[in-house]
Amino acid sequence: MPTEQLDIVGTSSIRVDARDKVMGKAIYIDDIQVPGMLHGKVLRSRYPHARIVRIDTSRAEKLPGVLGVVTGADVPFIHGESLLDEPFLARDKVRYTGEGVAVVAAVDVATAEHALELIRVEYKELPAVFDPVEATEPGAPLIHENVGTYTRAASNIKPIPGTNICNHFQLKTGDVEKGFAESDYIFEDTFTTPMQAHCCIETHGAIALVDDETNITVWANNDSPHRARKEIASAFKVPMTKVRVIIAPYVGGNFGGKGGLKAEAVALAIAWKVRNRPIKIMYTREEEFCSTIGRHPSVVRMKTGVKQDGTFVARAVKIYLATGAYAEKGPTVSTFAGISGAGPYRIPNLSIDSYCVYTNRQLAGAFRGYGGPQTAWAYESQMDIIAHKLGLDPVELRLRQVYVDGDRHANGQILKSEGLRDCLVQVAESMEWNSKPLGKNQGRGVALMERAIKTPFGSAAFVKVNEDGTVDVLSSTTEVGQGSATIVCQIVAEELGVPMASVRKAAPDTAFTPYDASTTSSRSTFHMGNAVKMAAADAKQQLLALASKLLKASPDDLTITQGKVHVKAMPERALPISKVLSENYGASGTVLGRGYYYPEMPEGESNYFSRYMVFWLLGAQGAEVEVNRETGEVKILKIYAAHDAGKAINPMTCLDQIRGGVTLGAGFALSENLMFKGGTVLNPSFLSYPVPSALDAPEIEPMAVEYAHPDGPYGAKGIGETTNVPTPPAIANAIYNAVGIRIKDLPITPDKVLAALKRKDER
Amino acid sequence: MSRHHITLTVNGDPYELDIDPRRTLLDVLRDELELRGTHLGCDSGDCGACTVLLDGEPVPSCLVLAVDADGRAVVTVEGLLKDGEPHPVQKAIVAHGGIQCGYCTPGIVVSSVALLKRNPQPTEEQVREAIAGNLCRCTGYQKIVEAVMAVGK
Repeated sequence: MPTEQLDIVGTSSIRVDARDKVMGKAIYIDDIQVPGMLHGKVLRSRYPHARIVRIDTSRAEKLPGVLGVVTGADVPFIHGESLLDEPFLARDKVRYTGEGVAVVAAVDVATAEHALELIRVEYKELPAVFDPVEATEPGAPLIHENVGTYTRAASNIKPIPGTNICNHFQLKTGDVEKGFAESDYIFEDTFTTPMQAHCCIETHGAIALVDDETNITVWANNDSPHRARKEIASAFKVPMTKVRVIIAPYVGGNFGGKGGLKAEAVALAIAWKVRNRPIKIMYTREEEFCSTIGRHPSVVRMKTGVKQDGTFVARAVKIYLATGAYAEKGPTVSTFAGISGAGPYRIPNLSIDSYCVYTNRQLAGAFRGYGGPQTAWAYESQMDIIAHKLGLDPVELRLRQVYVDGDRHANGQILKSEGLRDCLVQVAESMEWNSKPLGKNQGRGVALMERAIKTPFGSAAFVKVNEDGTVDVLSSTTEVGQGSATIVCQIVAEELGVPMASVRKAAPDTAFTPYDASTTSSRSTFHMGNAVKMAAADAKQQLLALASKLLKASPDDLTITQGKVHVKAMPERALPISKVLSENYGASGTVLGRGYYYPEMPEGESNYFSRYMVFWLLGAQGAEVEVNRETGEVKILKIYAAHDAGKAINPMTCLDQIRGGVTLGAGFALSENLMFKGGTVLNPSFLSYPVPSALDAPEIEPMAVEYAHPDGPYGAKGIGETTNVPTPPAIANAIYNAVGIRIKDLPITPDKVLAALKRKDER
Repeated sequence: MSRHHITLTVNGDPYELDIDPRRTLLDVLRDELELRGTHLGCDSGDCGACTVLLDGEPVPSCLVLAVDADGRAVVTVEGLLKDGEPHPVQKAIVAHGGIQCGYCTPGIVVSSVALLKRNPQPTEEQVREAIAGNLCRCTGYQKIVEAVMAVGK
C-alpha cells in the first residue's frame, strides 16, 4: 500500500456528535413529535405456545380516547429478513410469551394502557419446547408446521421441513474421521451460553403513518433504513416508492438489537388499520427484555483430534442456537457461527454443523458478535484444555496454530491481510505473559477470535458540495453510538481536502439518502468508508475541472487543501471552493459526487451471506483475574485487548469500541443471564439483570492493530462489533490458570466457581 | 382525572403548571416543558438516564411524581450551560471521548456535576460510586471517569 500524507484520517478527531449529546440537544426517536400523533400500546401473550380461540376488543374500542384496536386478523402480512415467517401480530397461534396479540391506538399512553385491560383473549395451550437440542429431536412440538415452504431470502438458507430447524449450515473439509483416527489425543467437550440481553439504554420506538393511498412513513431508531424499507414494502406488497423510513438523528445504542422490524412492526399494524394518523409506540424496559431479541442461547459440542506435539489434525463442531419463536436473523447468525465455528486455526480436516432451532421463547437475533461469542467460548476454552493436557504454553500453542496470510480458511478462501497473529503478540507482550509475577489465586489467560463479515452487500453515498464550500454527506449509515458519522466525515474531509468542520453527515431518510445494506457486522467503515471516499473523489475531480480554467492549469496539476483549490506546486495560486462554484455557476453552484461500493466476488459465490469474506474481524485478548476461594467471586484485574482495525481512521473511537465491547463481554462472562421459567422471562429489569456498572467495569488496555487491508479505505476495516467476543474465554482460561477449575457454562457465577472448587478439592 | 396546580423552578425559571397527578417529574420536564435532554431508560429508577438535580441532589426523575416536586428547584442537563457554554464536566467528557450513543450522557453529566459540587477532588472510586446508578452500555465508563477526575484536578 503506498504511503499517503494524511491530515485528518488517522487522527483522533473529536466526535461530530459529542457536543450535541453532552448538552442534551441530540434528538432521539422519543423526542420526535408528529402533528396529530396518537400513542400505541401492545397486548402481549402470556403463554409460550397457544392457539388463539377468540379475541374480543369491543370494550376497548368503546373506551373514550381510543381511536382503534388491531389484531392479527386485520393484518394478514408476513415479514422476516432471511425467512418469511413472522406475522405483524400473532395470527391463529402465539409462539412465545410476550408476542404481540393486539395493539391499541389512543390519544395518550395512559388511555391506551387502560384499553389493553379491556381486551379479552381466549387461548388453548399447546405443548411447548424451550431447549434447542430437545427441539431438534423427533417428537418435539412443532413451532412452525410449514417451515419447509416459507419464502427464503436465498437458497443458502436451509430449513429442514417437518422439524424446528430453520437453518442447517454445513461446512466440511478433508476427512474428519480419518483425521480423528490419526490423532494421538481426542478432546470432546460441550459448552453452553445463556441468552444475553442487548440492554441499549434507549428502548425501541417507532412512529408509523399509513394514509388512504397506502403511502407508508415510518420514523424509527432502526439501524438499517433501506433494509427496513424493503421488508415493509415486501410485506405489505406495495412498491418501494410508497415506503419511506426516516431514522431519528441519533439512536441510543444498537449492538444489533435495532435491526429488523420490532416496534416498527406493531406500529405499522395499528397504522394499517387506523389510517391517516401517525401512531407512536415506545417500548418499555420490560418489553425490551421480553419482546424484542437477545443473544442466541447455545450448546456447542466440540471434538478435536491433535498430535502429541500439539498439531491439530481434525475438528468436528456441532452448534445449536436457540432462535426463539421466529427466525429473525437466526439463519444468518447460525451461518456465521458455522463459518467461524472451528476458530482461526489451521486444521486440515473439519466438519461443522450449525443448527438454528426454533423454541417457544422470545427471539434471538443479531447481537454484537453474531455467533462469535458462542463459538469462541467453545473453541478458545478447549484450546486451553488441549494446551494443559499436552503441557504446552497456551500462547505458544496458539502462535503455532493460528492462520496467517496465504493459509486456506475452512471456507476455502486463501487468506490475506490477517493481523490476528500480531494481535496475539501485542497482547502477550503488554501483559508480560512470560515474566510478570501474579499473586495467590491470581491467573492469566488469553483468547483469540475471528468472525465473518456480511458479504457481499453494497453501500452508496452522495457528497454534495454547497455554494459556500461546505459539504453535506448523504449516507444511510446510522449513528448508533459507534462513531460512524465521525468516520464518514473524516474520510470525506481527507479525500476532498476540506476541514472537518465543513463536513456534515445527514441522518438517514430513504427518500433522500441512497442505498446502504445495513449498519451492522462492523461493515460501515469498510463499505460506507469506500463509498464516501469514491463520492468525495468524484466531487473533487469535478471541482478541479471547474477550477482548471480559472487557475489556468490542468486538473491534473491541481489539488484541494483546506477548502481551497490550488496549483499543487504553488499553494498561493488558489481559489476557495465557493469562488470556484460562483465563478462557474453564479449564485446557483453545486457539485454532486457519487460513490457505490460493492465487493468483487469470486465466481459462483452466493450473493446473500456468501462463504467468501471480503474481510475478517480479528482480535486477541488477555485477562488477569483473582478468584476468591471463600465466596467464589471472580475479580477481573485487567483485560488486554488488541483488535485488527486495518487502519484506525480515528484511533480514539477505535479504542472506545474496544473498551465498550470488553465491558459487554465481561458482563456475559460473569453475570449476564436472561433467565426463564418455561417461556417466561424471570428477570426483565435492570435491577434483576445485572448490566456492568461503573463499579463493575474492568480496567482495560485497548490496542488497535493496523494490519492494512488492500481493499479498505486507507487500509481500514471494521473493528467494533466483535470486541466482546474473546473476553469470556480469556477470563475462563485465567480462572483455570489461577485455581485449576474449568467452567464450561456461562456465566461464571460464584456458585459455579464454588461448586467446581469443591469438586476439585474432593478429587 | 382532577388536575393539580404546582409551581416549579426549572433551570432558574419559574413555572406554574396544572398537571395530572399520575405524571412523573420526567414526564413534565419532557412533555410539558420540552426539555428533552433528560431521557427515559427504564421507568424504574435503575438506569439513571433521567437523572436531574432536585434541590441540588441527583434523583431519577422517573421515580419522582411531579406533585412531589411542587415548590422545589430542578436543574436539568440543559440548565448546566453558562452563557451558552458547556459546563466544565461537559467539556471534559467531550475532550476525553466518553461518549458513544449519548443516551446515558446527560444523566452521567448531572450525577458528575452533583459529585463535584460536594467533593471537588474525588478519587476514581468516588467517581465510580457517584455514577454507579447511571448505566452505560457503550463506553465501559473508563473515559467518563477520567474526564470527571480531570475536572476535579
